[in-house]
Amino acid sequence: MTFLQSIVPSLARPAQPAKVETDARVRPAFNLREDEHGYSLTVFLPGVPKENLEVTDHDGLLTVTGRRAWAQPKEWTALYRETSRAHFELVLRHEGDIDLEKINAELKDGRLHLLLPKAEAARPRKIAIN
Amino acid sequence: MTLARYIHPRTTALAPVFGRSPWLGLESDINRLFETALGDFAAPVFEHRFPVDLYEDKDNNYVRAELPGLTRDDISLEMVEGYLTINGDRKVTDDDGKVVETISLNRSIAVPDAVVADKITAAFEHGVLTVTLPKREEAKPKKITIAVN
Repeated sequence: MTFLQSIVPSLARPAQPAKVETDARVRPAFNLREDEHGYSLTVFLPGVPKENLEVTDHDGLLTVTGRRAWAQPKEWTALYRETSRAHFELVLRHEGDIDLEKINAELKDGRLHLLLPKAEAARPRKIAIN
Repeated sequence: MTLARYIHPRTTALAPVFGRSPWLGLESDINRLFETALGDFAAPVFEHRFPVDLYEDKDNNYVRAELPGLTRDDISLEMVEGYLTINGDRKVTDDDGKVVETISLNRSIAVPDAVVADKITAAFEHGVLTVTLPKREEAKPKKITIAVN
């Protein structure tokens, strides 16, 4: 079995629970800027109201999930479409240098603005030399 | 901080029937390959273009445009010779809220003639603009009963 496992690594992995997420997700357009104080993240989430927005941080992965609130009414016929119905999902990996308590999030007109201050320990410090 | 292009087991389209499938690893490897190769293509373009949808029902035509980050004041609409023009100014701000750049967006959409131009209304909510264009009476579907002799 160990030889087989070395060829097919997935056999060595523990069985995953059958958690299947089949709904389509698209990565939203976003801007990320960094300075010495922290990160500034702007995510474009058209059609996502505040109550459908979720920002989570787990295992060094910051996830922004937004669900569109609007659904096409039954009587409407689509003549031409460029948008998708898929939900938005943006996953960013960080090195645990963010002060999670001080994250500031603001959603306005479909634009989410997140200010992620760096933790004190991660900021550059000048060391005095005697 | 980097974009996590791939998180290990998330979607399992070929869901394991008996506990787990030996193909699970292969499938996610293929997914990752596509995710890295096509990831940025799939992302919506937002700099100068914005997506528009057209709908109709029996009374109205509808135009829906995704304009996230704009405010009502940044958007103006014009109806000229059967074309609906959406103009918008996307203001790029720095962290202090100062406008550093203004990107002007515009798009013209051909609208069927059978629209009452002076009864057009528009709403803007959560970054999505919805324009309602009422159809003229003669363009609405009519039911005609024909007697068969």
